[in-house]
Amino acid sequence: MTALISGTALHHAYGPTPALRGVDIEIGAGEVVAVTGPSGCGKSTLLHCLAGILKVDAGEVRYRDQDIALWSEAARSRLRRTDFGMLFQFGQLVPELTAGENVALPLLLGGAPRKQARATAASWLERFGVAELADKLPGTLSGGQQQRVAVARAMVTEPQVLFADEPTGALDALAGERVLTAIVGVARERGMAVVLVTHDSQIAAYADREVALRDGVVDASGLGLRMSA
Amino acid sequence: MRAGTLVRLALAGTRTDHLRTTLTAASSALAALALLAAATVLAIKGGADVIGPDGSYSRTAGAERYSSPYLHEAGLRPGVAAVFVVLSLLVLVLAGQCIRLGAPARDRRLAAIRLAGATPRQAVLIASAETVTAAVLGSVAGLGVYLLLRVLLDRRTKEGLLLLPTDLLPPALTIIGLLLVVPVLAGLAGAFLLRRVVISPLGVTRRTRSRGPLPWPGALIAIGFVLFQVPGWVGLGIGGNGWAAMLAVGGVVCVLGVVLGTGWITYTTGRLLRRFGARPAMLLAGKRLIADPWSGSRTLAALLASVVVGAAALGVRAGFVAQFDAYETMDGVSAGADEGFYLGGVDLFLIAVAIGVVISTAGTLVALTEGIVARRRSYAALTAVGVPTATLAEAVLWQVLSPLVPALLVALATGVGAGQIYNMSDQAATVPVGALGLLGGGTLLMMLLAAGIGLLVLRSSTDLEELRAG
Ligand SMILES: Nc1ncnc2c1ncn2[C@@H]1O[C@H](COP(=O)(O)OP(=O)(O)OP(=O)(O)O)[C@@H](O)[C@H]1O
Ligand SMILES: [Mg+2]
Repeated sequence: MTALISGTALHHAYGPTPALRGVDIEIGAGEVVAVTGPSGCGKSTLLHCLAGILKVDAGEVRYRDQDIALWSEAARSRLRRTDFGMLFQFGQLVPELTAGENVALPLLLGGAPRKQARATAASWLERFGVAELADKLPGTLSGGQQQRVAVARAMVTEPQVLFADEPTGALDALAGERVLTAIVGVARERGMAVVLVTHDSQIAAYADREVALRDGVVDASGLGLRMSA
Repeated sequence: MRAGTLVRLALAGTRTDHLRTTLTAASSALAALALLAAATVLAIKGGADVIGPDGSYSRTAGAERYSSPYLHEAGLRPGVAAVFVVLSLLVLVLAGQCIRLGAPARDRRLAAIRLAGATPRQAVLIASAETVTAAVLGSVAGLGVYLLLRVLLDRRTKEGLLLLPTDLLPPALTIIGLLLVVPVLAGLAGAFLLRRVVISPLGVTRRTRSRGPLPWPGALIAIGFVLFQVPGWVGLGIGGNGWAAMLAVGGVVCVLGVVLGTGWITYTTGRLLRRFGARPAMLLAGKRLIADPWSGSRTLAALLASVVVGAAALGVRAGFVAQFDAYETMDGVSAGADEGFYLGGVDLFLIAVAIGVVISTAGTLVALTEGIVARRRSYAALTAVGVPTATLAEAVLWQVLSPLVPALLVALATGVGAGQIYNMSDQAATVPVGALGLLGGGTLLMMLLAAGIGLLVLRSSTDLEELRAG
């Protein structure tokens, strides 16, 4: 299997603090990979580098055989809009826009007509069971509802890769399970790859495979939190 | 991204955002109104001096239907128009100061939009579109007010003279041009303020230069002085449009020099306070001044501009007085009517400056309270570890006043210098120390007032509740 997206010898430092010290990772099309490890080991940093939000100091990020680490900020932004979906623990919705507008936003930024964008957004909200919340502001929704709106937004462009950083970290077990089932369901149905950052072994169990990080490198024991799939 | 999306994203906001948009629109309306007034004055024809073949003196017809003597002479009207232009610039600076209002919430919004896939260009576009949209709406409203005032103020004196030139309109193209200039200037100012801002999906950061500001912008003051001399060198007739434009450019360059130089003044006073400050409040203030040396330029810009222009006008006034005194001793006749006319003109200008000082104090107040509100967490944290509120209040006063006093002196000196050069009389005019003291003292008083109101905001900001909120 050739990788859809891969990182080779990735290095990233915040000033003097090294966060990634040579990470290698490969994700195939349609594969769900959990990235695990203790707090501060560099999981979020790795995700941001793969998604092109952070620039790597050294190393290659290849997506469909192109080194996107070399691309301009604008080109990487467009790639994130067309091919990638982003899902964070919280705070990714624009607080001043309604749930429906938030979901339509990536399409609108891409130049889609308003009506069409709103219709597509509505169908994704429907799919995740939050259609009736379309006209509400994020601040008036519960954490679980907000997160399902965020999942709808991440899916609205039908991405090839979904990057999710602790997507259920702020939710209770039941709400978390609904969100995860929704994500994995779409991944299986459409062959979307998922990079799922978590420190929770129960959540990592949803993945096909687990990559464990420790102090900015891949943990050589390769088993991480969970003994085996 | 379609235009509709852009406008929707640009105008989506919280109450503070709406306040900022409203202030931007209101200042644009005022600026457009002032520019339209200037254009109307310039649209008046007639009143040019004509010397007939037989040596007889007359004036071209057209301007005598107005009651104000300042509209009668072709040579004076550019000066009247310049007053309006200066006022509109001050109002635009005020708009610029409002741009930072509510910055944290807007930063969060812009980062979230970037995360949704907006390119850096789109993010900057969205941020500037808010300013431009507000400015467009504002300047259209300004045109509305202008047309309304034309009707309301269309009055005649007992002699049948028009009080104001309400009987004519500037050329349509000029009107359209002016209505466009305001949003373009506002957009440019917004983009300029955003030039060091990096809007990333993970948040908004301001690239700070590691080195402190340097004193070089002060050189602009000298360049402005040179520009004042140019009309004399190239023989541009005094009173013409070219002459007025050159003076305006020189004035703007001087003001820029003072405003940008304030960055260095702020930085240097900050370092001096850090070094020689004996009281904790001085050390705190010094730290803040060094951390953000441009805060002084931002908060004081319009105020310093008014002071420069006001000091120059006082200098010119002193020049006129000296000139008329010289005539009197020479010919033994009083120049009463003429003297009243010229001095009255300068006094009108000084009233405009006073309005400018009040407008810019309002801007300073906005910027000052914004600064305090933006840092309320760290103020609350300082209170929590036992720093007395009095020390914090003292620190804020040091922070406002210690760069203000030297900057004010530079502004006064620049204005006096410009006034001396502009002064066309061959009499050496004495520097009007008393009047300048009044201008400087009045400005200082206004700032103390603004700082006082800022302290009230500080009191409610150091509430320990702040540490737990959001
Ligand atoms: N913006 C930043 N500035 C400076 N250092 C940072 C920044 N973000 C992360 N770091 C540092 O980089 C290292 C890796 O951080 P990262 O956020 O990638 O960890 P993580 O594995 O996601 O942790 P967690 O599970 O707590 O989210 C840490 O040592 C952290 O302190
Ligand atoms: Mg993390």
